[in-house]
Amino acid sequence: MRLPLYALAVSGATLVQGTVVPVVGIGGVVPDIPVILVVLLALRRGPEVGCLLGFALGLAEDVLVGGPLGVHTVSKAFVGFVVGTLPRWFLVSRAAVTIAVAVLASVADGVLRFGLLQIFHYPAGLGELLTRVILPQAAYNGLLATAAVTLPAVWMRR
Amino acid sequence: MVTLWVRYRRYSLLGLVLVAGASLLTLQQVRPGEGLWVAEAVAAVTAPVQLGFARVHRGAAELWTTYLGWKQLHADRTRLSAEVTALRLRQLRYDGLETENNRLRELFALQERLPVRTIGAEVVAREWNGFTRGLTIGRGRVDGVERLAPVIVMRGVVGRIAGLRRNSAIVQLLTDPASSIGGVVNRTRAQGLVEGVAGGRLRLKLAASEEGVQSGDLVLTSGIGELFPKGLPLGRVLRVFPATGVFRTAEVEPAVDLATVEEVLVLPRGMTGDLASASSER
Repeated sequence: MRLPLYALAVSGATLVQGTVVPVVGIGGVVPDIPVILVVLLALRRGPEVGCLLGFALGLAEDVLVGGPLGVHTVSKAFVGFVVGTLPRWFLVSRAAVTIAVAVLASVADGVLRFGLLQIFHYPAGLGELLTRVILPQAAYNGLLATAAVTLPAVWMRR
Repeated sequence: MVTLWVRYRRYSLLGLVLVAGASLLTLQQVRPGEGLWVAEAVAAVTAPVQLGFARVHRGAAELWTTYLGWKQLHADRTRLSAEVTALRLRQLRYDGLETENNRLRELFALQERLPVRTIGAEVVAREWNGFTRGLTIGRGRVDGVERLAPVIVMRGVVGRIAGLRRNSAIVQLLTDPASSIGGVVNRTRAQGLVEGVAGGRLRLKLAASEEGVQSGDLVLTSGIGELFPKGLPLGRVLRVFPATGVFRTAEVEPAVDLATVEEVLVLPRGMTGDLASASSER
C-alpha cells in the first residue's frame, strides 16, 4: 500500500537533491535530503523500511551523482537500518531526539562513505572531510530536520 | 532455513542489502573499467534509469533556472519600476523649477523695463468660486502695497488690490464680476469699459456709435480713471455682439491665464503714463 508513496518519496528526494539543493547551499555547504528522509521514515517505520529506503535512495543518488556505484547505497542502507532500531531504546517521538538522530546519522553516513571510498583510494583525509563537509552538512541537515519536525506540528496546532 | 529467515528477517535483510552494495563496490574495484558481466548487468539496468533521472533532473534544473530567472526578472522589474517612478517625480520637480524659473525671469525682465518701482509678490491663495474672483498675494501694507494699486504680469493686467492686510493683500481679478476697467481697442483706439463676467471672461462695453471693434482685436488699458496706467494688455476680442440700445458689447478673453498666475508685480497706485512699451503682448 505504501510502496507508491515510498517510490514517490525516493524520486522526489532525489530530484530535489539534484536540482534545488545545489542552489540553497550556504558557503558551499549543501544539505543531504535523502539522509533526512531516511532518518524520518526509519524512525517511524522501523529498520526494514529504513534499510530498503536507504538502499533505494542511495542507489538513486549513486546513479545520479555518477561516482562509484554502491557508496551511497551501502551507507544509507546501513544508516537507515540502525536508525530504524533506535525506537527500541529512545523516545523518538520527541522532536529534539529526532533532530539529534538526524545530525548523528548525517555524520555516520559521511564517515561510512569516507570509509567505503577508501576502496577507491579517495585522496582527502577524514579530518579535513569532517571539518569542511561532514559536520557542516550534518548541521544543515539538523536545521532542515528541525523544520521538518516542528513546522507540521505548528501547522497541525492551527 | 525459512524459520531462520523469519526469525532473523531484519538482519538477513541488512546482510542482503550490504552484500549487494559491497558486491557493486568490489566488482568495480577488482576489474575497474572492464566489462564485468555483473557491472554490465547493473549498467544495463541503471543506464535507462540514469538517463531518465538525468532527463528529469535536467528538466527540473531548467525549470528551476527558469523560475530563478523569472524571479530575478520580477525583482529587476520592481526595482526599475521604482526607479522610473523616482525619475518621473524628479523630472516633474525639474519641470516645475524650470517653469518657475521662466516665470520669474519674465517677471524680472518686466520689472527691469518698467520706469517705476514695483513690488514683486507671490500668489499664496486663490478665491475661485465663480461669484467672486480674487487672489491673495504674500505682500501687504508693510511692503508698501497700496489699496487699488494695479497688479500685472508680463502678459498683461491681473487686477487691482481690493483688500490690504499687514503682510498680505487681496487682488480683485479683472474677471471678477464687480471689476470694471477703462479699455481701448488698440487697432482703432475706440474706448469703452472692460467688465468681469461670471464664468471667467470679460465684456467690453462700447458706445453704440463706435464701430471700430472686431474679433481678434487687442484691448489695452485706456488710462482713464488713473487707476491703471495706459497701454497694458487686458485681452483679445473673441466675438462682437450686435448693438442694443446705446451700447455695443464684445466678449473678450483675458490676456493673462489667471488660473495659473504664480507671481505678480504690484505697481504704485495712481500711476499715469503709457506702459505699452513695457508689456509683451501686441
